Amino acid sequence: MTANDYVFTSIRDLGGLIESREVSPVELATVFLDRLEKLGPDYNAVVTVTRHLALSQAARAEQEIADGNYRGPLHGIPYGAKDLLATSGGIPTTWGAAPLRDQVFDYDATVVERLRDAGAVLAAKLAMVELAGGGGYRQPVASFTGPGITPWDKGRWSGGSSSGSGAATAAGLVPFAIGSETGGSIISPASNCGVAGLRPTYGRVSRYGAMALSYTLDKLGPLCLTADDCGLVLEAIAGSDPKDPSTTQRPFRYDDSDVSGRRFRLGVVKGVADNVDEPTGANFASALEALSSIADIEEVEFSDLPHEAINRTIMFAEAASAFEDFVDAGLPAELTAPEDRYGLYARVAVLGKDYVKATRLRALMARNAEEVMAPFDALVGPTRATIATPLDQEFRSAALHGGRDTMGSVGNGAGLPAISVPSGFSDEGLPTGIQFMGRAYDENAVLTVARAYQSITDWHTRHPADLT
Amino acid sequence: MSDHNAQDVEDRLQIVTRLYGDRLDDDQLAEVRKGVEGIVEMSEALRAVSLRNGDEPMSVFPPYREEE
Repeated sequence: MTANDYVFTSIRDLGGLIESREVSPVELATVFLDRLEKLGPDYNAVVTVTRHLALSQAARAEQEIADGNYRGPLHGIPYGAKDLLATSGGIPTTWGAAPLRDQVFDYDATVVERLRDAGAVLAAKLAMVELAGGGGYRQPVASFTGPGITPWDKGRWSGGSSSGSGAATAAGLVPFAIGSETGGSIISPASNCGVAGLRPTYGRVSRYGAMALSYTLDKLGPLCLTADDCGLVLEAIAGSDPKDPSTTQRPFRYDDSDVSGRRFRLGVVKGVADNVDEPTGANFASALEALSSIADIEEVEFSDLPHEAINRTIMFAEAASAFEDFVDAGLPAELTAPEDRYGLYARVAVLGKDYVKATRLRALMARNAEEVMAPFDALVGPTRATIATPLDQEFRSAALHGGRDTMGSVGNGAGLPAISVPSGFSDEGLPTGIQFMGRAYDENAVLTVARAYQSITDWHTRHPADLT
Repeated sequence: MSDHNAQDVEDRLQIVTRLYGDRLDDDQLAEVRKGVEGIVEMSEALRAVSLRNGDEPMSVFPPYREEE
């Protein structure tokens, strides 16, 4: 194999090569570090390449494996972390925000610790939308590192707020990345960049050391080349953490058993594809047709609650508190997107009683979601309403294409797991995504359905031609 | 927007301007006003759903005690 053969190779396959000592972790780290440095700027995907740390961790992995201490499928695998995960050792953690470009922490986020314990190699801190979109950005140019660019078209947006995590994975700059989601920030870039992105159940992965946008809505999860890889990464980062009281005591063990011959029961939310663009709608219809060979598909409906108002009230109130010091210090004026320079101010106008009412309504939302979803392995829908929009276009109106994102609102509000995987391409070669959303703590269910879908389609095996 | 909600916007906007008005130019203040209008509309959407007194939030406060 040549060095380039390792690029766009799944974690599972790379892990096999490392375990059998056909490739060394140092060699692998060097390949991806070189790509991060050379190609990262083309997509505004990288904040900091952690070359020194990566080579040190890779050398350690190499020695451990030589000594017969193979830790598992992530041992010696390079990855990138969204730049809202605290990293020690003087590596900046910028939150994507110009006024915080020199921010450093003296500790590591729990996710970073767990990946280190699994033997993974931190190769880069990846670009993100400033404050993970906490300022209410409406356009791709909302990060001091520039707009996130999808590797499929340098004139189009990568999606956000985990923009670098999506773009770097899709461009083969890292085998996997960690992103965060409050209201679509993992599955949106996964869709725009044509990779797999897993939003775990709220509380499945410790948020300790991650920038807080919304304490009860934030989730951390992986972006990978395949659904299978997402399962491998989730197993490494999931688990209770005394430093994050919201983490669940329920253990997670990835079920990677064979999916062949399995038959599933899937739900489609009524009207979920009514307001999507043509390629997204056509590819979703084709996906349903493909899925019908392995699943029984029925239409479902959620109760008529103000899902979006519930989530936004909670997010606004929690963000107003989370960023109070940032706002009081006048730092919004130094943010990149003009709308982020004033967006946080209005949030002090959320009333306490409305915040509490939103959390009470959220309980109804969660119970209704469980009732609707209980008979199904997963609900299925288009991940986003549109293909990646142009870099100079406001996406807020385009994002929903005139409709509502019910799956996104219910999924995030109720803290439910979902995975987005590629569902095809538009005529101009831009990827579309399909999401599978499951019941709380049923990551294995959505992973299994997504793996089954990827076993009967080949969209995930396609990569940007100029990068292979 | 109803008269009640319009007054609500003015009242809440006053909080923003009292706290941060000196940092915002007219254009930004106009955008903040739109943001406050959106928040008042969300309040109305929440108020439109009736709850019983015992309908509690899902999150429960766990009293903290250090492990011994």
